[in-house]
Amino acid sequence: MLNDLLNQETVQLTDATDLSWETAIRLAAKPLVANGSVTEQYVNSMIDVVNDQGPYINIGDHIALAHTRPENGSNRISLALLKTNHDIALVNQYHPITLWFVLSAVDSESHLEVIKQLMTLLTNEATVKQLMAASSAEDLLTIIHSRNE
Amino acid sequence: MKILAVCQSGLGSSFMVQMNVQQILKDENVDVDANDITVDHSDVGSATADSADYFFVESTLADALGSIPKERIVLLKSLIDKKETAEHVNYVLDNENIAHD
Repeated sequence: MLNDLLNQETVQLTDATDLSWETAIRLAAKPLVANGSVTEQYVNSMIDVVNDQGPYINIGDHIALAHTRPENGSNRISLALLKTNHDIALVNQYHPITLWFVLSAVDSESHLEVIKQLMTLLTNEATVKQLMAASSAEDLLTIIHSRNE
Repeated sequence: MKILAVCQSGLGSSFMVQMNVQQILKDENVDVDANDITVDHSDVGSATADSADYFFVESTLADALGSIPKERIVLLKSLIDKKETAEHVNYVLDNENIAHD
């Protein structure tokens, strides 16, 4: 499932140095808005919850998982990944992020398999190291797909 | 004994923590049935002091659990660092006098 959701369209990499955390989330979610998985409202809501609740989407060292409730504009289960070659501070300097995942769900249950697979990927330190070092979107995809078959 | 993983939306991160805790209990050879241990996940808004014995939460969300006694809240710096989660799970097991590896 992870292999279907993370594909050439939804995985991106940028060298930009001037991104804010808001623009990083917008950029990461762009392919999902473009293919109709989520609405613009969903993207705004992901940013609003961080503004309201703080940087809790910083799920691990240099990794963020942006998401919000399905009713805020999610049309289907989707996942996207943006790697920013330069760390971006999520809200403050204590939360530098390199890997920006965006997740959308449609209810509380049906996306749990995706979360499971994502966790298998991210709890593997060697894989995370490789992802952090990837220099192209193709590299990211190769790493993800070879670890998760 | 019930462990509840909590996150803002109750959709993603809390389930990750739940899965990690369950895996660690297995790794530590804890008899979950004999010790009546359950692990679940929920959003921060529905978590009350009665909903579990221990609450695992990402550390920046600690304030949202204000009504729950501090000694029952476990703050996680990383949700995907199994070593960190394992330390916390072992602390809880020791606290409850539950045998583990």
